Amino acid sequence: MTATLEDDVLPPEPTAVELGLDSAEKPRSMFRRGWEVFAENRLALVSLIFLVVFCLFCYLGPVFYHGDAFVSNLDAVDLPPGAGHPLGTDPNGEDVLAQFMHGGQISVNVGVLSGLISAVIGTLYGAVAGYLGGWVDALMMRAMDAMLSIPLIFLLIYLGMVYGHSTTLMVLVIGFTGWFSITRLIRGEAMSIKVRDYVAAARMMGGRGPRVIWKHILPNSIGTTVVNTTFSIAGAIFYLSTLSFIGLGLQAPNVDLGAILNTGTEYVDQGYWWLIYPAAVAIILVILAFNVIGDALRDAFETRLQKR
Amino acid sequence: MTAYLIRRSLQALVTVFLVTIFAFLLLHLLPGGAVRGLAGPKATPLQVKLLAHEMGLDQPLPVQYIKWLGNVLQGDFGYDYTNSQSVGSEIAGTLGQSAYIVGLSLVLAIVISIPVGLLQAVRRNTFLDHTMTVVSFVLWGVPTFLIAFLLQDLFEDQLRWIAPNNEIASFHDAFSSPASILLPVATLTLTTFASYSRYVRSAVLDELTQEYVRTAIAKGASRRRMLYGHVLRNAMIPMITLIGLSLPTLVGGAVIIENVFNIDGIGMLTTSAALQNNFGVTLAATLIAGALTVIGSLIADLSYAALDPRVRLD
Amino acid sequence: MPLLELKDVRTEIRLKRSTVHALDGVSLTVEAGQTLGVVGESGCGKTMTAMSIMQLLPNGGSVTGGEILLDGRNLLELSEAEMAKVRGNDIGMIFQDPMTSLNPTMTIGRQISESVRIHRHAGKTEAHERAVEVLSLVGMPSPERRALDYPHQLSGGMRQRAMIAMALANEPKLLIADEPTTALDVTVQKQILELIDGLKERLGMAVILVTHDLGVIAGSADKIAVMYAGRVVENTNTEALYVNPRHPYTEALFDSLPERGAEADTKLYSIPGLPPDLTNPPTGCRFAARCRYARDTCREQDPQLDGETSEHRYACFFPVGAVEKSAKEIPVTLSEATSSEELPQTSIGAPLLTVQNLVKEYPITAGSILRRKVGAVSAVSDVSFTIYEGETLGLVGESGCGKTTIGKLIVGLEDATSGQIDYADTDLAKDKGARDRYRKQIQLMFQDSYAAMNPRMRVRSVLREPLDIQHVGDKASRDKRINELFDQVGLPRTALERYPHEFSGGQRQRVGLARALTLAPKLIVADEPVSALDVSIQSQVLNLMKELQAEFNLSYLFISHDLSVVRYLSDRIGVMYLGKLVEIGPAESVYANPVHHYTKGLLDTIPVADPAVERAKEDKGIEGELPSAIDPPSGCRFRTRCPAAQSLCAEQEPPLVPFGTNGHLAACHFPLRTAEGAPAPAVTLPNPTIPPATVPAEDTKADADAGA
Repeated sequence: MTATLEDDVLPPEPTAVELGLDSAEKPRSMFRRGWEVFAENRLALVSLIFLVVFCLFCYLGPVFYHGDAFVSNLDAVDLPPGAGHPLGTDPNGEDVLAQFMHGGQISVNVGVLSGLISAVIGTLYGAVAGYLGGWVDALMMRAMDAMLSIPLIFLLIYLGMVYGHSTTLMVLVIGFTGWFSITRLIRGEAMSIKVRDYVAAARMMGGRGPRVIWKHILPNSIGTTVVNTTFSIAGAIFYLSTLSFIGLGLQAPNVDLGAILNTGTEYVDQGYWWLIYPAAVAIILVILAFNVIGDALRDAFETRLQKR
Repeated sequence: MTAYLIRRSLQALVTVFLVTIFAFLLLHLLPGGAVRGLAGPKATPLQVKLLAHEMGLDQPLPVQYIKWLGNVLQGDFGYDYTNSQSVGSEIAGTLGQSAYIVGLSLVLAIVISIPVGLLQAVRRNTFLDHTMTVVSFVLWGVPTFLIAFLLQDLFEDQLRWIAPNNEIASFHDAFSSPASILLPVATLTLTTFASYSRYVRSAVLDELTQEYVRTAIAKGASRRRMLYGHVLRNAMIPMITLIGLSLPTLVGGAVIIENVFNIDGIGMLTTSAALQNNFGVTLAATLIAGALTVIGSLIADLSYAALDPRVRLD
Repeated sequence: MPLLELKDVRTEIRLKRSTVHALDGVSLTVEAGQTLGVVGESGCGKTMTAMSIMQLLPNGGSVTGGEILLDGRNLLELSEAEMAKVRGNDIGMIFQDPMTSLNPTMTIGRQISESVRIHRHAGKTEAHERAVEVLSLVGMPSPERRALDYPHQLSGGMRQRAMIAMALANEPKLLIADEPTTALDVTVQKQILELIDGLKERLGMAVILVTHDLGVIAGSADKIAVMYAGRVVENTNTEALYVNPRHPYTEALFDSLPERGAEADTKLYSIPGLPPDLTNPPTGCRFAARCRYARDTCREQDPQLDGETSEHRYACFFPVGAVEKSAKEIPVTLSEATSSEELPQTSIGAPLLTVQNLVKEYPITAGSILRRKVGAVSAVSDVSFTIYEGETLGLVGESGCGKTTIGKLIVGLEDATSGQIDYADTDLAKDKGARDRYRKQIQLMFQDSYAAMNPRMRVRSVLREPLDIQHVGDKASRDKRINELFDQVGLPRTALERYPHEFSGGQRQRVGLARALTLAPKLIVADEPVSALDVSIQSQVLNLMKELQAEFNLSYLFISHDLSVVRYLSDRIGVMYLGKLVEIGPAESVYANPVHHYTKGLLDTIPVADPAVERAKEDKGIEGELPSAIDPPSGCRFRTRCPAAQSLCAEQEPPLVPFGTNGHLAACHFPLRTAEGAPAPAVTLPNPTIPPATVPAEDTKADADAGA
């Protein structure tokens, strides 16, 4: 063998098959393989489809359906579902279906935005703490432990009181309090990846901190990040609806599904089920859908690394 | 082990301090100043002035903190002008019910989740396992208030098996009429048990793949002995840590449940205070909840250390 | 009647989408009081055989055919409850890794007594007494105290003894040992093997010893069964196998051993290709695709296990000696050529890198609040040596000796506590800037290339990374270089698009080697590069390393615990013990004429694939356990286990002095021989006692008559 290769000197190249590497197909990218695993989970597929449909319903619905969520029609109070009002009317005469669509939009908006904010903060905080280690890490973690110890609901209630209940503020409040659990996980990942041989190899080649984090730590913890973003979105919707339900979240006219339930449940005794169950079922299904997708994503990311 | 004990306790102490600092900072977020908030909307300007002086607002922040902390440690959380009693006593009156509900739910959740999780692990991927997974999933994902509401609707209104409960105004009430406690505890238990049983399932599955299980069978141990004597034992030890970590969620869940079922616990107190814009009470409740969960977590970690020989003998 | 008889056993493992035919008609017999060695490489089915006997198959596994007769009783017909009575009672089993095979939260006494309580229905105290009894039977020092210990508190050797105790507590008729010594240091390995031998005699047991190590088998087995791809391919007594192997696979295995290559100074034979995929086994002889003697018959028909005598059976149509090697060569990669070629020679040049008085200590902190330093682990203690251009310096020693740490210090992954690393006229230990500048020239090859490559990066990116970091050339030239590298290590360029997990172990090591070569270094530190590979694959990688060294005039610092591999590749060898360099010199000189007692002990304990040599070894090897690195013995660190230790050894640390003119140095007050080559005068004084404070309690003292 010499440094310059001449074709007629080389013996025939061994085929990949002989060497035991898979058949001659081009290796599928990891993304495709992950998708295949995800798609195998039928429940997750169903959830995904449901979410898409739900979003279309809530966002595009008002374009087609012209019920008015905000117009009081005191002649048509508390009507059960019927002509003109597929989901009936509420005590103010407002159309429930329209309210529902609007509420759905808000729940999803706030949920997704807060979830994303939490994910970004959590990932950065965790990666830095995990990679740096030492006293920086210790300090950051102690601070986080303190914040984690306070049941989130108390914090949300308090901050809601302080900052008010507008949508933007709710997004920020929930977003800035929901990142604690993600941090823990990402930090764990960063710490375990930090000591892997391939990081040592990169350092030995002369690689430095930022490169190591960018090329090695983040890509290898992307699974955790994506999965937990999904869970944190689910969690955000969870907390938002909970807060609104007890009256300490979003308030009229910016009602989300939880707030709808707040008013609705007062009429349980009258049997005005249309004020309650549509919203309740919607919340349940949306949160579940996100959770199921998160779970399936977790499986998809894990099997990517295994031989099929 | 002693070294671990000391170290862990000190950690907890530091964390509690951080919680107080955090709470203190929250206090100062208030519009109109901390004093206004503490005094409440109903306090007169004179009362506000007195309070300001007492709190030493003319002094630098750290000094204020020390002063405030000193008060807090003595149980003085300020005075609730709205309800005309000291915040401390207000809260103290509610802790009993909450503790009862939380404690009972915790115990029940643990007791139920272990056999369920174990069963699921042993019968992995069977219909039973999948069903239980779905059930756990649903219970965990659905907002607590909805579960509470749905249970209430079902058992009180539709089936009328349980009478719509009266307000549980005291600890005594809770004890003497178990029926009134049934639904709240059931709700909290169900939501907590979901995550516990998922954990037990995965912990047991993890242990089952360990090599010492193979050794146990190679010794002639029956499956039963292997499961209970080796696997479950080892899987349970880390569960203690899990329990410690789940305490904040547990207490948080209690808040919602108290609201739905009208129980006079610390959660109910907090929400009604919040609705009245009573910052003092809300903050104090937050602080106390935080401190209690730190302690709970500490107890959990110490128990873990006592049980795991790898930690114990270091 | 034989104690255990396997007749045509077939075992399958059902996976999600396919079935692995792990065993395909395995027949074996074991007589009481005999040791049957089952040898083969990974995937051959030897472990599956053991598991099938014990009915311990993994999920989805089942024995689908044949009989397993223990004293005439077919184990396959037993119910689970009945089988549970056999396990741990009639048959005992020990596994490879005692750390994971023992329950970490139970004392070993309790784990052993559990076995007794299950089968003999003994009470707690009675069972515990028996546990202590068995522990002393297996040579555990201070058995009463050790019985109350947890697994993590014991050393590797002691843990394995505990496992053996557990398996033997009920005096089984048969002991199955699955790779019992693979996870242990060489010196401990010998102790355990002898223990098993001794127990076999005392208890009149039969033993099945499953291993991949031909040397281990040579010394311990009476009969041997060689397995390949789920079948037994050769079955005979030990001498016959080594002297006259009949199956081509057995012959090929022997030819791949580094020991053979080292003696003949030729390239190692490597078996081309890989073992067949057992989810879809080939028709005909399973070894045909890789066999030197294969003919068409082999690919069409299945050879049965048969032979001229019933004593020596093999499954081959054209056994060794029967035909000429086929003239038609099977296509192989460049480095998988046949064995009769000469080794490429390198010329050794000027000193390249010198290590002087290198020290590395890891601090141990304790304390509840602030962590104070209470002690230090002395990983490397005052080590000095030189590596020359174009040479391979082998560094051997057991776990904890510091060889890996030295490797890390040289490549800059760790900072030295003190000492110098001289390279190109600068001290790399002190000058960090220089270290960065010279990074390109000193590279590292890892033991486990899988862990050393980012699993989410395609191999092309893995190879590109060093070039990217060091800003070498432009994109086009980088790609060109990567292609070249792959050619040089004998991998197809199409494989560059694959991910690390898609390669086999040996191929990954090649990629690791390619990556180490990317920056055209002058020195490659190879840390256990072939330890995780099967013997036949090892030879491929070793050959490759040799070729590349000749071509690029590389130097290697070859770190390994495997003396035979080191000997094959190295020009000089350095022996380390507990952080100290105890001997260094030309490979042959160190091997044939060791000076230090530890070196000799190491050489003696390493199993050699030659039964005659193994049997002739009378020396008990090195006794005792490795002392703590936190508080190493004063003076000479080896003295606590050295047969020739005297009081001087405790007081004064022996300096590294030359023995002869060929650059052979050793550090010993009472060496095995003097500089002229004659053995040192025999020491007739009995060993005076050494102050007890520095001797660990568990230590065994050697006899007084051991001398030079």
